[in-house]
Amino acid sequence: MSTSTPTPATEPLDTYTLNMGPQHPSTHGVLRLKLTMRGERVVAVEPVIGYAHRAHEKMAENRTYAQFLPNTSRQDYLSGLIYNVAWVEAVEKLAGIAVPERALVARVILSEFNRISSHLLWIGAMLLDLGAATPFLYTFDDREAITLLLESVTGSRLTYCTARFGGLSRDLDPDFPRRAREVLARLKPRWDEFEGLIEDNVIFRERARGVGVLTVAQCRAWGVTGPTLRGSGVAYDIRKAEPYGAYARFAFDIPTRPEGDVLARYLVRVAEMRQSVRIIEQALDALPGGAILTEGSIGVRKRLKPPVGTLYYTVESARGAYGILIVSEGGTEPYRAKFRTPSYANLAALQDVMPGTMIADLVAILGSVDVVIPEIDR
Amino acid sequence: MAPPTAHPMLGAQESCWVAPGRLVAAAGAAKADEFFFESMTCVDRLDPHGVFELIYTFNRFDEPARVAVRVWAPQDAAVPTLSGVYGIAAWNEREAWEFYGLAFEGHPYLTWLLLPEGTEFRPLLKSFTAPPPSIYDDSLNPSAPAGDEHEHADTGH
Repeated sequence: MSTSTPTPATEPLDTYTLNMGPQHPSTHGVLRLKLTMRGERVVAVEPVIGYAHRAHEKMAENRTYAQFLPNTSRQDYLSGLIYNVAWVEAVEKLAGIAVPERALVARVILSEFNRISSHLLWIGAMLLDLGAATPFLYTFDDREAITLLLESVTGSRLTYCTARFGGLSRDLDPDFPRRAREVLARLKPRWDEFEGLIEDNVIFRERARGVGVLTVAQCRAWGVTGPTLRGSGVAYDIRKAEPYGAYARFAFDIPTRPEGDVLARYLVRVAEMRQSVRIIEQALDALPGGAILTEGSIGVRKRLKPPVGTLYYTVESARGAYGILIVSEGGTEPYRAKFRTPSYANLAALQDVMPGTMIADLVAILGSVDVVIPEIDR
Repeated sequence: MAPPTAHPMLGAQESCWVAPGRLVAAAGAAKADEFFFESMTCVDRLDPHGVFELIYTFNRFDEPARVAVRVWAPQDAAVPTLSGVYGIAAWNEREAWEFYGLAFEGHPYLTWLLLPEGTEFRPLLKSFTAPPPSIYDDSLNPSAPAGDEHEHADTGH
């Protein structure tokens, strides 16, 4: 068993300690990896986290359910819309609030666009870690098209706060489906272009293949989920396992790869973007009319008092299973809110994966799991 | 002390109360059955019950089978660590320790995870309501002497 262990008082003479971060371009935020090295080889890794801790869980206990809405997308700023929707749907389930059909489908469309934009940023950042600067420019160009589309609906570019208990804050305008289809038409030929630019690149393949292999047993011990788990051959996706919102009515596949290495995690994410496009296309076709927010007083929702109980609600974020546990004592504020964030488990698992690898591979492995540090630190 | 059975647990296929002493056996059984460690939550129920409620959830990759294992742990109870069974439990237990002061028996490295090293307050306890006074910040301390040497130096007074 290799949980993090304290540095021994007397270090063996043939190893040395190397601090990677907290300020390092490859750590994607403020993460410090305390490495025990023997030459170029990693002997042990201790992730030191908490630099971006903002006490979201304590804040939740001191705010009403509605007041906590802006906090949600600030946990994972790359797939913030999914987190925003997750909080709203959890509270709706706890308090028994009905949601109009149009809002359910619109949430799926916006969430999937957010997932693609998160994956696009990841591809760019991950390849930048490996020394490839060009893909970053391509993916950010595409991501901007999605950001502009989401901005036109939500008013925000990054920290979305558009979901409301019982629907969405604003309706999709009549022109939205046309603009959304335009973005999709722009994205679809890109996947093949990426294939030529990235997957066929021999340097990338050689740096990614067989590196950082994560086994299914390790995934279980550490609670690894999301594309990182699916890269190890397990078809576990909350959208299929426990369908929430309107996901059950759309056809899509769960891409998996059996290898469990960096390349597999890359290929799974690219395949996932194609599936997200599939979902969005179906959702745009099936977008019902009607209200976007349940009739009723907004004022009542501001003083929402869900019944006594504990609820565990989970959604599939761009990084894996995001769980929200709410304990309600019947008050206007949650008695306790716990956020089970996917990167937390995915990063912890690397303590088991990284020992034995070269330091250059460590950068590739860290990049491949797509950690978002503020989501880990909460 | 018996836990309240009326407090419902939603969103889990199964839910059970387990005594702290039987926790490791329960987690071992979950692991043998190919469950993964999903989450762990500590809830402050010191007022009025004098206990912490621990909620562990385990789930499976192949079918939705969330099992919520709930522990009613008196404040001074020795809750055994699950880090020997599931690696990720080590981090979750460090969090429960730093935010609530709940110690885990047999933990290999029970130290601060998210809070700065050396933090002495337990911020998620219900009894913790105000930010701690900081030596660098007088704004919370009305009795601090008004004025500042640097300000006077700047304005020439």
